[in-house]
Amino acid sequence: MAVSGFLALWAWLAPGLAFLILSLVVPLRRSGKPAAWLSIVVSLAALVAAVVAAWHARVPDVARRMLWEWIPVEDGVLTSVGVLVTAEATLMLILVALVSFLVQVYSLGYLADEPPASLGRYYTYQSLFTFSMMGLVLAPNFVQLFICWELVGLCSYLLIGYWYQRPEAARAAVKAFWITKAGDVFFLIGIVMLWSRTGTFDFAELFELVQGGGEALAGLGLVTFFIYLGAAGKSAQFPFHVWLPDAMEGPTPVSALIHAATMVTAGVYLLFRTAFLFEQTPDVLAAVGWIGAFTALLAATLACVQSDIKRVLAYSTVSQLGYMMAAIGAGFAGAGFLHLLTHGVFKALLFLAAGAVIHAVGTNDIHAMGGLARRMPQTFIVFLVGTLSLAGIPLFAGFFSKEEILSAAWAGGLTVPFGMLVLAAFLTAFYMFRVVFIAFLGAPAVASAGHGGHGEAHAHDAPAIMALPLWILAALAMGIGIWFSIAHPEAEFVPPAWLTPLAVGVAVAGIAFAWLVYGLRAISGDRLFERFWWIGEAAMERFWLDDLFALVYRRVILGASRSIGWVDRYIVDGILNVLSAWTLTAGDRLRRIQTGQAQDYVYGVALGVLLLMVWMRWPK
Amino acid sequence: MTLQAYLTLAAMLFCIGLFGVITRRNTIGILLGIELMLNAVNINLVAFARFLGDVSGMVFTVFTICITVAEVALGLALVILIFRIRRTAVADHLDLLKG
Amino acid sequence: MSIEPIAFWGLAVVLLASSLAVVLTRNLFHSVLYLALSLTATAGVFLSLDAEFLAAVQLLLYAGGVVTIAVFAIVVTERLVGDRITQTSRQILTGFILSGALLVALLAVFRRGPLTVPRPVVTGDLTRAIGQSLLTTYVLPFELLGVLFLAALVGALYFARPDD
Repeated sequence: MAVSGFLALWAWLAPGLAFLILSLVVPLRRSGKPAAWLSIVVSLAALVAAVVAAWHARVPDVARRMLWEWIPVEDGVLTSVGVLVTAEATLMLILVALVSFLVQVYSLGYLADEPPASLGRYYTYQSLFTFSMMGLVLAPNFVQLFICWELVGLCSYLLIGYWYQRPEAARAAVKAFWITKAGDVFFLIGIVMLWSRTGTFDFAELFELVQGGGEALAGLGLVTFFIYLGAAGKSAQFPFHVWLPDAMEGPTPVSALIHAATMVTAGVYLLFRTAFLFEQTPDVLAAVGWIGAFTALLAATLACVQSDIKRVLAYSTVSQLGYMMAAIGAGFAGAGFLHLLTHGVFKALLFLAAGAVIHAVGTNDIHAMGGLARRMPQTFIVFLVGTLSLAGIPLFAGFFSKEEILSAAWAGGLTVPFGMLVLAAFLTAFYMFRVVFIAFLGAPAVASAGHGGHGEAHAHDAPAIMALPLWILAALAMGIGIWFSIAHPEAEFVPPAWLTPLAVGVAVAGIAFAWLVYGLRAISGDRLFERFWWIGEAAMERFWLDDLFALVYRRVILGASRSIGWVDRYIVDGILNVLSAWTLTAGDRLRRIQTGQAQDYVYGVALGVLLLMVWMRWPK
Repeated sequence: MTLQAYLTLAAMLFCIGLFGVITRRNTIGILLGIELMLNAVNINLVAFARFLGDVSGMVFTVFTICITVAEVALGLALVILIFRIRRTAVADHLDLLKG
Repeated sequence: MSIEPIAFWGLAVVLLASSLAVVLTRNLFHSVLYLALSLTATAGVFLSLDAEFLAAVQLLLYAGGVVTIAVFAIVVTERLVGDRITQTSRQILTGFILSGALLVALLAVFRRGPLTVPRPVVTGDLTRAIGQSLLTTYVLPFELLGVLFLAALVGALYFARPDD
């Protein structure tokens, strides 16, 4: 078990080393391809280390801790840095390392047209992200977790705004940063409140404290709620989900890595890691579950009306994150975590496949695509694998974890959320196959080729460097699915007998409905839109949430900034300017003492002597 | 007479000299006032030397007299030089040091 | 009634009166003459303090030399300007107040200290004592005084040079 600690440490620090080298050695970074290879090789080494660490740490419920004291205070140490290695942590580590490695390899092909300096910058950020995310996963206490949390948010900002010359990308990056920051403020408050109550940041110590019970835990509800708010921001729960679709302005590999598999799952992972705290506050957990299920349903409806393929996937990610949170809210964090792992695999796959399509066709609009299955068969196959996983069809990875979540919701007693989740499952299958039918099957679109790409007429499969990660992920998705079907892990509960058929049936129904509408064109999509116009219209406006946030930002935040700026300029600076004007005037007046006539100076001397004599002799 | 009497005399002389320095417009008049002040100092020194039995007070007086003589000589030479250039001896007009 | 108090008071009156005349007279030339009178009275005061040598030095250097120089300066400047320079004074009231205040302060000092010391008996020749002191204890300042005079001489020569 000790080996796992060191291996985890190495897996964590190696990308950090790559980041340092790339950021400090400027010629290496500017050279582009060599920087990329450095980052890729290091992430491969981290992956190997993570796998071996996971093998050594596979005994559940045993934790390995390595700490170094960091901030000393009067009696003892305030907080430490280090690693806390559990079986689940190493699994997450593998996910991060694997997806990071595959995405970096993929990016070499996707961003092949970038100037070398930009490419170097990209891989520097990628290394920093991998380092930060692993630090978050392995964090033994809240402080290190929060620091890595913020670092990960920073990398998200940097990578979303990678093409910073585009104003939409810059805006999206700022938006993501702002909204997650709002959650982070509450997170920080929660951490500090927890520390003021218990005196420690450390997870292991807190666990002991909770097991022992006691009065220190009174009022924990507010603390866990604040911590949840931080997770809600990062994991795009309603109403904080608005930043994730806009984050698609970044390059597609970035979306695959950060906004599908790793960063957005940090919130889920946080709740999973601190589940022992949340167990003490069932009300907060119920809220988590309800909000999660609602987010799942909301995002699913929004995904049905998107024409941008990446936005469909983005809303799908929000929806699946809602699923994970719902499972945690039901009290079965393990189910949520399992879905996190499987979702990470197939969502990354879907994004990378979408990236291959975008790279080939030159546009994100699914209505400008069509018949791609014939021209890009390999991409079609892997996309289909991902889609079937997402829809929850047996033999694919997502089926088992999704079913676990549904059973968890049912077993946890959250019936209305359960219903929402079932409806969301139907919609999930529907909107994913909508994309399949419109973009891959069916007739090619009449629309002209997009700019920058080869055009639909010349669409072809991705080059090997992009295809290889796709195949690896697809194989993994299928492999996990088959493995779970044969020897699935012990569930903490037994699902009711009718659950599995319900889940499968709902998914199949969704696929069939999509086929009817978009495949056979038996039901008109437009008529459907009119029937449900009240949802459809609202969905098109994204339920006006973005507008609300923009309003708050412009009016409240910028307004406050402007008024504070006014105070600074006119009052603070004004006082200083008045003081300096007075000083200048006083100096001007005082210089009249210098008359230039010696007799006046003698006058002054005599006066001084007189005063001195009076002062010396003044009776005490 | 008592020491106090001499000292009082010297103090009065000093203040009269000071009055002259402050109020006179002509530069030479100012120098005359300075002379009076130095005179007062000399009386002081000699009185103390006599009443305390220490002769070094008188030696000091010799020094001050000599230095005063040198100073007056050169001071008046300067006044004459300034006359040549500025055509005025009124101290109020010599205000190049005005700040 | 010994002669000493009478002599002192007489000298004091002459001294103070002539000093006041120095600072108050309008005519500069008259000022210088009154100065000469006051310097002579000072020499008398020195005599009353048994400092004969100093009285002689005072008469020679001050009443003789300084007054002569001042007269020459007035004559030269008066000629330069062309007419008699009349004296006017400035800020008389404030000057008076200041000097008066200083005088009051000084007198207040004298009240405090034990200054009614009896005059000690003169032992030996004061002039001899001064001479010995000058050449033994205070020989360094004495020599420096020579240097000072040299500097003053050179300076005066420089001032007196003809315009080139």
